[in-house]
Parts: sequence; C-alpha cells; structure tokens
Amino acid sequence: MASTACFMIISKNDIPIYEAEVGSAPKKEEAAHQHQFILHAALDVVQDLAWTTSAMFLKSIDRFNDLVVSVYVTAVTHTRLMLLHDSRNDDGIKSFFQEVHELYIKILLNPLYLPGSRVTSSHFDTKVRALARKYL
Amino acid sequence: MEPDVSIETSSMIRIAVLPVGEIHLHLFRKYAGMLGRHHKIELSTITDFYKADQKSPFSQQPWESGSLRFKFIVGGSPPSPWEDFQSNRKIHGVIGICHCPSSPDLGSVAEQFAMACKGYSSSVVQRCFVFSPGDTQLADRNNNKNKLVLFPPADQRTQEIHLQTMMQEIAASLLMEFEKWVLRPESGGIILKTPLDSQASLSSEEVIKAKKRRLGRAQKTTGDYCLLAGSPVDANAHYSTALELARLTGDYFWYAGAMEGGVCALLMDKAVHRDPAIEEEVKYRYNSVIVHYRKSFIQDNAQRVSPLSFELEATLKLARFLCRRELAKEVVDLLTAAADGAKSLIDASDRLILYIEIARLYGTLGYHRKAAFFSRQVAQLYLQQENSLAAISAMQVLALTTKAYRVQSRASIPKDTGSCIGDNGKMNHELVVSLFESQWSTLQMVVLKEILLSAVRAGDPLAAWSAAARLLRSYYPLITPSGQNGLATALNNSAERLPSGTHCPDPALPFVRLHSFPLHPSQMDIIKRTPGRPDWWAGSAPSGPFIYTPFTKGDQTTTTKQDLVWVVGEPVQVLVELANPCGFDLLVNSIYLSVHSGNFDSFPITVTLPPNSSKVITLSGIPTKTGPVSIPGCIVHCFGVVTEHFFKDVDNLLLGAQQGLVISDPFRCCGSGNGKVKNTNVPSITVVPSLPLLVSRTVGGDGAVILYEGEIREVWISIANAGTVAVEQAHVSLSGKNQESVISIGSEALESALPLKPGAEVTIPVTLKAWQLGLADLDGSRPMKDSSSPMLLIHYAGPTENHREPPATTGLLPPGRRLVTPLNICVLQGLSFVKARLLSMEIPAHVGQISDNSTHTDRLVKMDPYRGSWGLRFLELELSNPTDVVFEVGVSVNLENVDQNSSEFDYPKTRIDRDYTARVLIPLEHFKLPILDGSFLVTNSKSNKKAEVNASIKDLISKIKVRWVSGRNSSGELHIKDATQAALQTSVMDVLLPDPLTFSFRLVDQVDQGQGRVLAHEMTPMEVMVRNNTKDLISMSLSITCRDVAGENCIEGTNSAVLWSGALSGMKVDVPPLEEIKHAFSLYFLVPGEYTLLAAAVIDDPNEILRARARSSSPDEPIFCRGPPYHVRKKLDKTEHVVMRNYS
Repeated sequence: MASTACFMIISKNDIPIYEAEVGSAPKKEEAAHQHQFILHAALDVVQDLAWTTSAMFLKSIDRFNDLVVSVYVTAVTHTRLMLLHDSRNDDGIKSFFQEVHELYIKILLNPLYLPGSRVTSSHFDTKVRALARKYL
Repeated sequence: MEPDVSIETSSMIRIAVLPVGEIHLHLFRKYAGMLGRHHKIELSTITDFYKADQKSPFSQQPWESGSLRFKFIVGGSPPSPWEDFQSNRKIHGVIGICHCPSSPDLGSVAEQFAMACKGYSSSVVQRCFVFSPGDTQLADRNNNKNKLVLFPPADQRTQEIHLQTMMQEIAASLLMEFEKWVLRPESGGIILKTPLDSQASLSSEEVIKAKKRRLGRAQKTTGDYCLLAGSPVDANAHYSTALELARLTGDYFWYAGAMEGGVCALLMDKAVHRDPAIEEEVKYRYNSVIVHYRKSFIQDNAQRVSPLSFELEATLKLARFLCRRELAKEVVDLLTAAADGAKSLIDASDRLILYIEIARLYGTLGYHRKAAFFSRQVAQLYLQQENSLAAISAMQVLALTTKAYRVQSRASIPKDTGSCIGDNGKMNHELVVSLFESQWSTLQMVVLKEILLSAVRAGDPLAAWSAAARLLRSYYPLITPSGQNGLATALNNSAERLPSGTHCPDPALPFVRLHSFPLHPSQMDIIKRTPGRPDWWAGSAPSGPFIYTPFTKGDQTTTTKQDLVWVVGEPVQVLVELANPCGFDLLVNSIYLSVHSGNFDSFPITVTLPPNSSKVITLSGIPTKTGPVSIPGCIVHCFGVVTEHFFKDVDNLLLGAQQGLVISDPFRCCGSGNGKVKNTNVPSITVVPSLPLLVSRTVGGDGAVILYEGEIREVWISIANAGTVAVEQAHVSLSGKNQESVISIGSEALESALPLKPGAEVTIPVTLKAWQLGLADLDGSRPMKDSSSPMLLIHYAGPTENHREPPATTGLLPPGRRLVTPLNICVLQGLSFVKARLLSMEIPAHVGQISDNSTHTDRLVKMDPYRGSWGLRFLELELSNPTDVVFEVGVSVNLENVDQNSSEFDYPKTRIDRDYTARVLIPLEHFKLPILDGSFLVTNSKSNKKAEVNASIKDLISKIKVRWVSGRNSSGELHIKDATQAALQTSVMDVLLPDPLTFSFRLVDQVDQGQGRVLAHEMTPMEVMVRNNTKDLISMSLSITCRDVAGENCIEGTNSAVLWSGALSGMKVDVPPLEEIKHAFSLYFLVPGEYTLLAAAVIDDPNEILRARARSSSPDEPIFCRGPPYHVRKKLDKTEHVVMRNYS
C-alpha cells in the first residue's frame, strides 16, 4: 500500500463529491490540505487532456514534488476519479479506479441520489477504503 | 534567477532608474511610467545623435528596421555575479529622476546623482532628468556638464516629445559605447569568469583551462553586445564562433549561453512569430540549451552555486515562448519540470521567483487553478519570511488566488456577473450547481485562513476583517464553536483598528433574508382608481357574470410578483429574518433596509441574536420621493464594520441547501423555516405621491358595542383626515356579515363635509340593530368572532390631479384608498322568544242597542259589550328572560290602514324579571277583512292564493311590533316574525277572513226603558240582524234559539221557560250582498235569569266561496252558519234581573 494517497471524486461541475485519505502514512491535516490543493490544480490539466484520448484512465498526468496525480474520467457523466499517490503501481491504480467506478455507478443508480451532489454513503466509503488497501 | 525572463531578455539594455533628491514616490512612479513608454527606440530615429567616430564593428546593423530595447530597472538593483556571463545583466545606463520643486538645489542634485551612479560601475551612460525646473534653474547653464537634463514645465505632449528625444540621445550614446567596448583592444583578452568557475585556488591546470576557454567566452560576450546593439546578424556570427570554441573546450555552460543568445538573435532577425519552422528550431535549440546547462553542473561547488537557475530560466523562457493554448501540453511539461527543480534551488528567493513565474505562465495559459496553486506556494514562501512586507506580498498574492478557489471578496467581483442569475425564481439545476461550485471547502478555508493570517501580519485590518467574515459566513458549520469565537474576536480586533463606519463588501453575520412585506393595515388600503367612473373603486373587481374567470386567473399567474404601492411620507414596514448559526452572542449594532433608488429613508434598529437562533424583525422606513423602490438587501453594522447583505445571496444559498449542495441552511439549523424554503420575491414597489389618510374612531371608545339581541342603538363614528391631502371623494358602503344590522348610515354628514381638509374631522351617525344570535353563537364555549360584525367601507380619494405635479401623469390617476372600519358589535342573548300560539276566545256580549259611534277605535280591541266579539283571536307570545337584567315588553300595532293618521297602539308594558317567562297577548281582531272576497278562496290558482296569503300574513306581522326596554338606554325590538308566521300559518283564514254572515241581536228601542233592561214577565221585542259579508246574495233559513244557564233549550221542549212571538226557526230569508236584514221577534221570559240567544242559519245553494270558507268537503253538505252567543240578563221588576251568562 502506498504511503501517501488521496482519492477524490470530482463531479462534472468540478465539485468534489467524495474525498478520502487512503494512504498508510500517519494523517496530517496540513498534508491533506496540500493533497487537495494539488488535485484541485491538476483539474486544469485533466480538462485539456481528457479530450485528447479515448482512454478513461489517464496515468500520471500531473505531479508536484514526488506526488503524482492519476485520473480516471468516466465516459458519460464526465466524473473524474482522481488519485494522488507516490507509488508507481499503474496496474493497481487502474484496477482501483475501475472498481471504484463500478461502485460509483451503483451510487448513481440510486434514485434518491442527485447526480452532482455529495456522496455520503458510508458503505461506499468503506468499500473504497477496502479497495485502496487491496490495490494501492 | 530573475523574474519576467524571456528569450528576448538577452537583447535588452538595462537602465537603472533612480530617484534623486527629494521626490514623492507617487511622482517618481509617474515619471518612471513616462520613461517606460520608450522601452524601444528605433535605430532609424537615433541617427541624429549617432556620430561614427570610427568604423562600426556592427557591420550588419539593420539601421532601417532594427531597434534598441531598454529594460528599466526602477529603483536599480545590485550588480549580478553573472554579469560577465550574460552582458544584458549589466546595468548599462543610469537615469536619475529629480523633481525640481522639492529639491531646488541642482548642484546638490548633481552630487547626489553622481554618488548614486557610483554603485553602477558598469554603467556607461548617466543622465539625470530634472522635471519642472524653475526659471532660476533653467537660467543656470552649468547643467549640461553635470549630466542634468532639464525638462521645462510644459504640457503632457510636449514633455513626451522632449523625453523621447532624450531617450533617443541616450540610445545613441549607448550604441556608441557598445561600439567602443567591442572595438576595445583588450576586449578579447580579459578573463571572463562566472561564480561557477572555482574562485579560491586556481590550480595551474585550471588556469590553462581558463585560458583555453577565454576566446570562446570573449566571442560570446561580443555576441551579447551585438544583440544589445540591435544587430542580430553580427551577434549570430559571434555566437557561432563562440559555440565552436566552447564545444572544443568543453565549456558547456558558455556553450549553452551562446546558444541561448543565438536563439535570441534568430528571433530578432526573423522577427516572425508563429512560424512553425522557427518554432521548431527554437524548441530544438532550447532543449539543447537546457541539456547543456544541466551538463555544466559541477559537483564540487554544488553547495555554493549551481547552473540550475539558468536551466530553469531557460525552461521558463521556452515555456513563455510557447505559451499558447494549443501547445498547452508542452508548456505544462516544461513548467512541471521547472517546478521539480524548485527543490534543488539553494536560494529561497530563487524559488520564490520560480514559483511566481510558473504561476504567471499557467495564468497566461488559462490554467487558473494551476496558477492559483503556485501563487499559494509563493504566498507560503513569503509567509515563511515573517516580516510585514513579505506578509503584504503574501496577502496580495493570495488575493489573486481567491478567484480560482472561489472565495473572492465581493469587491473583486465585477458588478454585472451577479445579475445574470436569480431574477426569476426559475433556475435550472445546472445553474444552481454551478453557483455552488465552491465546494472545495477544505481548500477554501485554508486559503481564507492564510489570507487572514497574512492580513493580520501585514497590518491590513480591512483585508483581515473581510477574510474572517468570508470564513465565518461560508464555513461556520465546519468551524468549531471555539474557532467561531476566535473568528469573532479577529473581526472585532480588526474593526478596532479601522475607522468607524468602514464599509466592507463582504458581509459577515447574520444571515438576512426577506420574510415578508406586511400588507397595508386595512385602514390604509390603497385602491386603484378607475378613471371616469363614479364608483372608481369597483374597477379592480373582476367583471363578468362568473365568480371565477379563467382569464383573470391566468393574469394572476403570469404576474407572479405582487405589486406594492407605498405612499410618500407614510411609514412602511418590511419583515426580515435574521439568523445567527454560530455559537456566540451576535450583536447587530444596526440594521436597516438598503435602498439604492434613493427615495427611501430607512430607520436602523439594534438586534441581539443569541447563539444558534433566528429572529424575525421589522424594519421600517419612509418613502421620500415618488418612483420605484428597490430593496436588494440590508445594510448591517456588525463587528464594527458596515456591510451590505443581499437577499438574493441568501436565497441562492437556501436554494443550494435545498438541493443538498450547500453545507448547511443557516435558518434551518437555527430552528426556523420548518424545513420549507420560503422564497419571498421582492415585489416591485412603487411610491406614489401623498394620499389622504382617513382615520376612524368610534366616539365613546373603540371597544365593541355590547347589544342585546334586537337592540337598536346609534353609534357615532368620527373620521379624521390624518394625511396631508384633502379628501375630495368619499363613499360609504357596507361589507361583511350581518349587514342588515346596520339600519342607517349618516353618510350625508361625510359627503357634506367634503373636501375634508388635512386634520379635519367629521362624525357620522350609524344606527345599529343587533342581530339574532344563531344556535352556534348561543353555546357560550366559543368566543365571539369579530368576523360576524359588519364593516363600514369608506372609499375615498384625493384630488384627481395633483396640481404640483407636471401634467405628464394625467393618464394615471393617483390611487384612492379604502378605510375599513369594523363596527364591533357584541351581541348578547336578550329576551328570548319561546313560542307563539294563536288563541281564540269568545267574550260575552250584551244584547242591547248597538251604538254606532263606536267605530272610532282608540284601543286595539274595543270591547263593545253590546256588539260582542265573535271569534276573538289572540296571538300569545311566550317570552323568557335568560339575562340578568329586567326587560319591559310592550306591544304596539300600527294601524295605518284603519285610519289615515297612522296611529299606533301601545299597551301597558309587561315586565319580565330575570330568569322569568312571561306571555304577551296580541289581539288580532282588527285584522279581519271587511268583505269575504273570493280572491282568497279560489281554488284553481293555488300558488296565487298561497302568495296572497303569505303577503297578507307578512303585512299583518309587520304591523305588530314587540318592543322592549331594559335599563335606561337599552331598547330594541323582538324578532318575532318567523314565530308569528308559523303560528298564524294554519289559521290565517280564520284570522283574516270574516264569516260570510254576521249575526247580532238587539232590543228594539223602547222609549221609557233604559237600554239593556229586560224584564221578566214582559214581552221583549228583539231583532236579529244578519249581515251578508259576501258579494253574492245568500238565501238561507234562519233560526234562533235561546238557552238558559244550564244550556237547556228554553224555547222548545217540555219545560220551556220562554215564550215567544214571531218566527224563530225555519225562516227563509235572502240577504243581498253586503247588506243587512233584520228580523223582529219578541221573547217573553218567565223566569228571571241569564239566557243565551243564538242565531244560526243554513245557507241554501252555497257557492264555492262559501264552501271554501266553511271548509266543506262534499258539495252536498249543508253550510251552517252560527252567530256568537248573546246574553240576555232577565231582570225582575226593580229587583229582579235576568242575568244571562254565557258559557260558551
């Protein structure tokens, strides 16, 4: 498992709808801020890059210091699953994204869920953290 | 590293611009700004100043198209250790700026300038520009040798031209200096060194190495000068040589430098941008530059100096060159690489410059989030310096990031962006979502906290206040109560350092939303006037036969906003709701409506909001001028700063909360709103000129008038004009329930008082009659509703046109108003009616002479003892008094049809004590019709008859009035109509219709005997009179009987006590219509006592009317008519009397 990893889901309106610190390193508030800042800034790169490729998984599109940003762009809703990580385990990250995407689709299928609003399901959170332990 | 580097930087001549003498910073900036416009001087323009002393080394100088470029270093800069490496880093010229009026001694100015120039040893041209010199200074001719250039005061344009000329002169001088430098014999000989070369101990090996490299470096430097002199072709030639030499000597650093210069020369020469071929060339060469800079990294002195900054500069230069949206990916790669280099930079200020440049480039690229990220890095570096100047810089840099993080201050948002949303309540989902794009709350809070920190450190209380306000207002749910308290303290501390009354565009607490506009109190209703109609107030009512008209309904939905009309000078109120979702007591020093239209005076109030509470408060104000009023929000003075809170913002916030997009709804978390978002639109409000204002008051107190049921009382209502305009029209009408209880309104009193001047008062009388309480009202459990009282509506209006106004508004009448005065009547249960019965009785009459003068009746029932009262009927009313006062009841009958002088009969009053029941008898005798007319009894027109009957009953009832009096001033009338009608319904014919035949007896006049004397043992001549009350002749057989007290027939039978002469039975008589016949007979009474005489008749061939009157069912049945009994009192001689008693 990666020592640092910050996972976020960004809606098509560039609003974070889910965020989780999934790294094994001891959590520091300062660092969490920094992670979100990096991910926020990486959106600029994603927005251009996403249209240049048909792939959903964009690996290592941005980096700051030794932290790398990988992104998975869903096709229809243009939701971005963003992961800030310090490991180079591309395959694991890809699998992680694919499984989280499935989970997210399940959330979307909930008729009570307003697309674009915050994902508050604790089940989803648990699953995402489990996937992070498994793949990252 | 240097800020703002680009490829062209290599061709720019640096000139330090220094203030000399006393000069205000503002002026210095202005003059420096003027200089800044001359950063490029065409070579063609400097030929006048250029003197070719010797052959120019710049053989390829493009005199036609070339130019010299300047880079003004305002304030100067310390010499760079890399001056030898890149000649453009040298300060080649110094320009002093002096403002003569503040430093008049030009001698000392010259001295100061000379001193200042000493710091710039590399400078070859020095000029001191003296602005605004006086006449004395101009007269002094020594200036030229002191390098002072005087700019006489002149207009802007002249000064510009003067300045340009001087700059051309400087350019020419610099060009000549560069020529001199290149032509200097020793220029090829000096050892050019950089900090990269080891300084301390030059080993022999290194000396040899340096000597080898010397030529290449000299060529490169010459190339630099060529570039500065604006001759790229010459430069390129020198660079080519330098590249060759450097490559041979392995001097990578200078190799890269020469290559960089070569690219600059290439671009200068071609002067074509966006040429893909050149772009490729530049990219290729610069990549090589970067690689060679990297190669020149020497491990030995890595701790002290590193070519890294040159590598990064080159990266930035290339990025800047490529910085276009199409090449975003390449630029991003370059900038990412540059950012990676930041870690290895030794100097903190280099890192600062690097981040600044990266942020700027990202900004140019349109990557605002990236730019914001690096700006924040810059700010953090500034904050690490811990001094106030750095803090100011940090604050300013952070302020730039707020847009990307969507936490910007209201002040930095252009005015018109807000208006595109929210006018109509219909906002589609997308728009709402985009409104709350600012969901990066973690980042936003961090940024705001950093702004707050830097503002506090920088000593900018307003910025600190604004940041704290934004933080508190937007993120209070994410801040702990202690954190909220801390922010409140920060707000207060900042406010202490601000002058009182400071405005801040960013609102803090409380949240303010529009609650409602209270409607006008009913006393002040404004009614639109329909022109040209006498009943102008009726125009607004829906017309047409239907209560519901789909068209009017449609109109109402299209105009969703209701319109409000306010009147100049009359105070109005608006309800707003405040919420304090934080954990501290919030003292709002003042809050008042913010009105931008400038025709409204609002009154501030002070409010204290406890923690987590909301409050609805009333804000009031007075419209001052006519026109529309817009109320976008409130001005709040809280935490020592004045802010404007817009209702729209909170509405949007609440809308977002409804959609689950905003963290929290401040009103709901304060326990208000019941979970429902109320969206109160600000209606369009117009202010109309002053209108009259009527105020009503009931004379004798405004309390409810307490009346017993049926009580009649007059109340006086005083109406005063409290406005400033006279009332010219007024109309009184009634509305509401129980309108019939108002008997009369003295509206003529009001009308006669028109026009009612301001301050005038008029009193109108209103007569009230209390209504009957219904069954529901009688159970005392429910309180009396006010709504049951009638209301007096007074529509009134001022003059049709306001004479002070221009006649432009003649089409629009000033509206009228409506005064609603509820007539508060409290009806108490009074005398209650229990039941009504019809009683009939026969009262004995005496046989005697009928006096003809008794036709005049002065009482209700004239008991004529001789005439008798056949079939007398009484209406018996049973009344009970459940109240605790005494009532006196009197019956009066209006008999206007009997006599011309409509007389009324009053009977002695019946007193009904509390909790007692009494009966009142009303004789109905006089209501008999004189003629038995067929009209009532015609059977073939049932309905007609019914109606006739009902009409006559009503007529009858309306004549009977039961009045009561209680106490001194309560009096009224009983409502008995219904009860009486019910009682009379069945026997109305008996009451109303006369019998077909009327019988009466009388004694035939005797001369010597008193009337009514009947003596025994004496023949008594008598007459029976039969009157035909119909319009037809009636033939009948008449018979007379006489009974004694025991009821025995005294005429027939065995022991007859009465003898008779004349016919007594079976007499066939015909009675002509409406006439009377007499039949004489004599009786001889044997025994004194009382006898009863009865006349009866059997009618032959009765017609339909008679049958109907007799209610006979079969046509064969004989119709039998019987008269009332008459008494004959048979007296004895003197002592003996015949007394007859009737015992019917």
